[in-house]
Amino acid sequence: MKIKGFLKDVGGASRVTKRRLAAFANASAVPQTVDPIGDVSREWHPGALELVVTDIRTASPTAKTVRFERADGKKLPIFYPGQYISLAFNMDGRTVCRPYSISSAPYEARTDRPYAEITVRKSKGDGYISDYINDQLEVGTRVMGSMGLGQFYWEPLRDAKNVVALAGGVGITPFVSMAKEVAHGTLPIDLTILFGSVSSDDIILKDELAALEGEHVHVVHVLSGDEPDWKGERGFLSAELIKKYSKGDCSYFICGPQAMYRFLREEVAKLDVPARRVRFEVFGQAKDVTVFEGYPKELADKTFQLTVVRGIQRDVIPAKACESLVTACERAGIILLTDCRSGECGFCRTKVLSGEYFVSPEGDGRRAADKDFNYVHACSAYPLSDMTIKIPIV
Amino acid sequence: MKFYKDHYDVIVVGGALAGLSSALMLADKGLDVLVLERHNLPGGIATSFVRGGIEIEASLHEMMSIGSKEHRLKVGKFFDDMGVDIDWLRVPEAYHASLPGLEVTLHPGFETFAKEVDAAVPGTYEKVLKVLNLCHTVFDSVNELSIHPMSKPQMLLKHEAFVKTAGYSTKEVLDTFDLPQKALDLLAPYWIYVGSGFSDLPFTIYSVLMADYVGYGSYIPRKFSHEMSLKMAERAEAMGVQIEYRQHVDKILVKDGKAYGVRTARGDEIHADYVICSAYPNSVYTHMIEPASEVPAKAIKMVNGRKLSLTAFSVILILDKTAEELGIKDYSVFRGTTMDTDACYEELKGLGPYHYITCICHNLANPDATPKGTCSYSITTLPRVDGWKTVTAEDYDKVKHQVANQLIEYMNEYLGFDLRDHVLECVIETPMTVAHYTGMWNGCIYGYSHSMDDHIVARLQTAEEEKFIEGLEFSGAHQISGDGMGPAVTNGRKAAKNVLDDIKKKEAAAK
Repeated sequence: MKIKGFLKDVGGASRVTKRRLAAFANASAVPQTVDPIGDVSREWHPGALELVVTDIRTASPTAKTVRFERADGKKLPIFYPGQYISLAFNMDGRTVCRPYSISSAPYEARTDRPYAEITVRKSKGDGYISDYINDQLEVGTRVMGSMGLGQFYWEPLRDAKNVVALAGGVGITPFVSMAKEVAHGTLPIDLTILFGSVSSDDIILKDELAALEGEHVHVVHVLSGDEPDWKGERGFLSAELIKKYSKGDCSYFICGPQAMYRFLREEVAKLDVPARRVRFEVFGQAKDVTVFEGYPKELADKTFQLTVVRGIQRDVIPAKACESLVTACERAGIILLTDCRSGECGFCRTKVLSGEYFVSPEGDGRRAADKDFNYVHACSAYPLSDMTIKIPIV
Repeated sequence: MKFYKDHYDVIVVGGALAGLSSALMLADKGLDVLVLERHNLPGGIATSFVRGGIEIEASLHEMMSIGSKEHRLKVGKFFDDMGVDIDWLRVPEAYHASLPGLEVTLHPGFETFAKEVDAAVPGTYEKVLKVLNLCHTVFDSVNELSIHPMSKPQMLLKHEAFVKTAGYSTKEVLDTFDLPQKALDLLAPYWIYVGSGFSDLPFTIYSVLMADYVGYGSYIPRKFSHEMSLKMAERAEAMGVQIEYRQHVDKILVKDGKAYGVRTARGDEIHADYVICSAYPNSVYTHMIEPASEVPAKAIKMVNGRKLSLTAFSVILILDKTAEELGIKDYSVFRGTTMDTDACYEELKGLGPYHYITCICHNLANPDATPKGTCSYSITTLPRVDGWKTVTAEDYDKVKHQVANQLIEYMNEYLGFDLRDHVLECVIETPMTVAHYTGMWNGCIYGYSHSMDDHIVARLQTAEEEKFIEGLEFSGAHQISGDGMGPAVTNGRKAAKNVLDDIKKKEAAAK
């Protein structure tokens, strides 16, 4: 065969080798250290940051808003309104993580005095960290925080310009972030918030919301409690009420307690809108795993032995059947970091080496192949026998 | 508490396809291996993610070098040999080309492909088949020479086509066939997966690509590329490899010109005889070697003398109707306003508009890829890193959506409906996404450009001289075989082989 002539053809390999060596010989000997694409990725997702509590104020008689700034004073990462922050608290030497929707706006994280805020309601006695935040947290406390996380935000490629937010109680927080951004002129949507509360004197972030109302932010309070003087909407967020406040093609964003989700799934189905128009925020760790179908209630009171493998280290700790593998580790002082704590995000992806377990069916975000090989998201997996798991070294 | 052994034979930095291939091969020879991966799962970009309960492929379009069960190609055979049992699904076609004046679907198999080109551009069958046969001959030579190196005169006798085309660009060789432009256009689309335009792309690389892809077809794992990555990791662990996730390696420790371990961001100092590193030599020689004084000037000149290749931008959509309902007929579509690859390559320097793109509908190879009543559709362009280096954090979201919308509108014209009316879930992957999840230098996934200045034949010739630090091997797209998931496996095996050869050499010297 012939391309250009025998000698030229057979000399090809040496020719390209010379070219390559010449390119190196002619190159600069000064190290090129810049990685601007990596820098942008790190600015959006810097990982866990050291944060300081700089303000705590009342958001309602039962809730508080906590402001965080970076310990080094720098800007916080850019995020999408609706996203959450995962905070790692140091509780008596043990690390305990919780996710909270960010109630401040992205633009507030990028000013000269950048901050992010969360708003947390006091629990009815079963919220370890919620109550700690409401009753004990002090200005000056340091925590580690990762943001912005989660998929609960307006995505222009997917969502309608008219957004109807269906909020229940403290589920208002992501919508306050969205409303702030809309009012600021940096989120091009028309936002109608249908906000369900029990009583008019315990509406979370009521004044903030009132201040944000305007051309593209509309707030409709809906009270479920019995208040004779209330002039506004009453009852629950029914399909009828939702329809009343929907204008044309709408996307429905839903955030609230688990009971509200069960109710709203049925109401939203009556709206006859395509599935892509309805988005539920994940709702955090299941309060009571025993209510899920398939959970063996007879084991709920049992405590098992959990062997936790980190590298070549093995530790044996107790694990209650009714508590997640993460909770067992946290109680034992073993760090197992979580983000969404709802089973969805996979940050706490964990290998089960042996033993039986139950996975919460709500928000099981595992990959198909992971299921085949006994991986669980430890925040939503519960021991049903003695178990051995392998988790990342922290 | 003690998380690591005092010493390992080999530490592999990066648990993606290359690193895991190294680990498998070393464990198979009985070595004690530690893999450190920065993310919380294996695979790098060979992974999937879940959105709204739907699992979505992150990056894999087609896997080459697998072959059928009866006729395995080298990567498929490696998986079989290692006991990595992947549920491969055959991709039905080579590609659909949507180019000015051409709407042609081409299928794998040299003769089938040539016939289909001939049907679109009559009278070209013989010549196209000749091109493909030449590619096949070169491909066979490359595979054989990578296992059995031989002297130059011997090579000329046994591998004449390989030797005689090695010094030429794809354009120079294709020009000798005197094919009509439209036939050439149909032979070009898959080019994008190896980078440079035809005037600078080594024909050797083009040959390997065409012979492998067009000749033998391609495959995808049933449960996304995560199935492949996970099965490799699981197999490696079963063979005794220790894999630790979420461990970011900050430093490679070097003393007197020899690597002896790594230090993680967590602060663990871990020792080993060898380090195999998936990070780009750019990161390694400018940030990771400790002390920095151990980096020779030659290493810096080498990385500065090479050109970073392509990265990826993908809009991945889950649509709320089936492919059939939407009229999506092809697994893979290449759409372009020109098939002048040099012009396309030039356009990839910028931030768009991009006119040379690839679309994949996984459901057409794997009907169960998404829940009933839905399908996935991804639009990908493979830009060069240059343009994306100018994007700031503040502008990032705007640029990302601008490019995504441009790509969607460009495909809407082809599809005849607006994709945005059917989006159930969507993910936009950018070079920054790649950087975030994998830490790859400047978000680059294609390593260094295959070019006439950085030719694979030259890479092979000078490989020995480019080992600047003893005991440090590299594996990944930046190594000899270049980019792609198949080549990643080959690069990983090569790094492991270098380690094994070195051990043998030392053992022989000790005797």
